[in-house]
Amino acid sequence: MDRNQITKWLKEPAKMANKYSLHAIYFCTGCGIIEVPPVITARWDAERFGVIPVATPRQANLFLITGYVSVKTLRAIIRTYEQMYEPKYTVGFGSCPVNGGMYWDSYNTIKHLDKYIPIDGWIAGCMPRPEAIFIAVTHLWTLIDKGMATGYIRYKENYKSYRRNQEMALGKLQWPPLHPIDSDSEEAERD
Amino acid sequence: MTELLKKELGSTFRDILVTGSGDNRVTVSVKPEQVLTVLRFLKDKGFDHLALLSAVDWIEEKEFELVYILACYMQDADEDRDNGKLHLIVKTRLSREKPQFQTIIGIFPNAEPYEREIHELFGINFQSHPRLTPLLLERKYKIPPFRKDFDTRKYVEEVFDKIPLVENKEK
Repeated sequence: MDRNQITKWLKEPAKMANKYSLHAIYFCTGCGIIEVPPVITARWDAERFGVIPVATPRQANLFLITGYVSVKTLRAIIRTYEQMYEPKYTVGFGSCPVNGGMYWDSYNTIKHLDKYIPIDGWIAGCMPRPEAIFIAVTHLWTLIDKGMATGYIRYKENYKSYRRNQEMALGKLQWPPLHPIDSDSEEAERD
Repeated sequence: MTELLKKELGSTFRDILVTGSGDNRVTVSVKPEQVLTVLRFLKDKGFDHLALLSAVDWIEEKEFELVYILACYMQDADEDRDNGKLHLIVKTRLSREKPQFQTIIGIFPNAEPYEREIHELFGINFQSHPRLTPLLLERKYKIPPFRKDFDTRKYVEEVFDKIPLVENKEK
């Protein structure tokens, strides 16, 4: 650890702890997941950056969405995201979650993932190199430091419109809302 | 081997068109009502593996084509029949207005997911299939999406582009 970071640690210990121990949920979607095994193993060794993969969403606070999202996968992504503990960070990996990528005119692929869950950062490319994951992680550190990685707060605040978009894509959802949806209070807040 | 099989098929069935393309690929075009007997015949000849069941939409001819690709897992016991190197493609045409066909689960049980998939993506109804429930798709489509008259771009514009961006309150 860098010595001149000690004051930072003492000022905001929670932030620093979040920053240097990101637990990435091992959620495989699309072709981008092929980049993740070399990243977490000996060749690139994500643990240098404090990123380790975990098995369940209850243990994770980093969600890498690696590749195209079909409508069926979106359901799993929302359920996984809602199970994760706060603070939680999401990173869209590859071109497809950004705007559909090469599946922009597909009948069954979600085009803009940020319409359904909040995304803190994007890695563009098809495919991005494993190094791009580390660049994203270091960018995420900066965002956490500056308090700009606020995806989960935005999700809470705009939950009504996120839920509406999710239901537009998937039909009626089988699970209850994560945050209370109170239409009156939201109107009052907007005013 | 190929010649022997061609001869046997030609002598056993009427109205059958056997063409060989390349050394180890034989295409058999049959009428829909013959498919079951031809498949059973070929299975007895050693083609015990249904590698793929696929469909093609010939929209100008107003027909669907079903394609059964058979292969042989086990090298046959008698030496003259070297089926192992041969791909056998059985093709049949259905009318596009009323796409309906028999299931072949009785002959090849692994056809079940293929038939479900084709039912979902092309809208071909397989009679006496035990469960033609949705397999891959989550949404309902008016026209099955793999048909040629399904306009994917129009569908994307109507469905996915209509979903609005989430507005941010900070602004």
